[in-house]
Amino acid sequence: MKRKRSIEKEIEEEHEEIKYEDTSVRELLTMMKDYSELITDLAYAAIVFENTDLADEVGHIESEMDKMMYLIRLKSMLSARTLEDAERLSGLLQVASAAEKISDAAEDMVGILNMDVDVRSILPHILKEADEKIHTLKILNDSDIAGRLIGELRIESFTGVRIVAIRRRNRWIYGPNGHSELASGDIIIVCGVDAGFEELKEVAHGRLSWNEVIS
Amino acid sequence: MKETEKKLLEMKNTSELMLDLAYSALLYYNHDIAEEVVELEDRIDYLYEDIQKASLNKFKETGNFDRALIFMKVADAIERIADAALDIADVVLRDIEIHPVLRQSLKESDTIMLKKPVHKGSLLDGKSLGQVNLASETGMWVVAIKRGNEWIYGPDENTVLMGGDIIFTRGPEDSIDTMNKWTSP
Repeated sequence: MKRKRSIEKEIEEEHEEIKYEDTSVRELLTMMKDYSELITDLAYAAIVFENTDLADEVGHIESEMDKMMYLIRLKSMLSARTLEDAERLSGLLQVASAAEKISDAAEDMVGILNMDVDVRSILPHILKEADEKIHTLKILNDSDIAGRLIGELRIESFTGVRIVAIRRRNRWIYGPNGHSELASGDIIIVCGVDAGFEELKEVAHGRLSWNEVIS
Repeated sequence: MKETEKKLLEMKNTSELMLDLAYSALLYYNHDIAEEVVELEDRIDYLYEDIQKASLNKFKETGNFDRALIFMKVADAIERIADAALDIADVVLRDIEIHPVLRQSLKESDTIMLKKPVHKGSLLDGKSLGQVNLASETGMWVVAIKRGNEWIYGPDENTVLMGGDIIFTRGPEDSIDTMNKWTSP
């Protein structure tokens, strides 16, 4: 028992810089899954708009993913007591490691923006034909979604479009969650099917009310 | 769009569908959906190889280095994303018992992916997606349709559904009942 405690302490000391100490395996895994979905959206958006802020965020998320992967591995090992534990945890780690692999791939993809090659004339027009298209959208004053929470509106459920990032004045909000509020003047980067985008655009421009969308 | 561009786009669409399917196979511990991921991975491998060859051939012809490099880099990244989706599906296929924590994590998402056969004589049989207003009526978006061995990605409102199709939809969990009604005979 004593030995075990000292190992835990060592691990803690060695990795003080990691901020997720108190985060449970469940929370870590949820974050990793969400990040694995967000990071590919951000990577494609960075390429389509040739935006270095978005590309930097991809790099940032990738390094967070590495930290989370490390921590989830440690926590899993420490919690395995029986063969059955170990089997179930191996499945969990396989999923976590897949999420981490995706973030690696996304980072490599935005790497082409730093390779001094002509991305602009080659990729954006291809990606604009994808099933799930990436657009920017400005929320105007007259829009009734301004001042409301993304989760309360359930935008993805009703339009099939997800908000990847919000540009508010000089600031970015990446991967906004249900508690994020939309404000007039926001420029949002969205990803999703055409029909839903057109509808959301009408709402953002104040030509359609949100109630008309959800009814 | 040129042939190789179309293939790159198909790779992107396929990899996204695979990831969606993989996470939902895990959530419902569904072998059937996990098998679809495996099948799609074959398609990815084929496309990846084809893009690599075509890019290098094109480079030999035109000397356009940037184009070849970009295509190969992006195709490589997409292939790895698809591979990761396969790793996730593999947990289900190998019958590894799912850790309860894993399921809790997946549950926290507010949309789900559903796989439904469209039965002959059902409400959806023979109708276009626009005609039935599927998205606004049920809240479910059709992500892909499987017809025999063919896949239709990102169908639009003119896409007609046929009895025997298998549709993959994404939407809020409370839409499941409506979807069941619409696809049953």
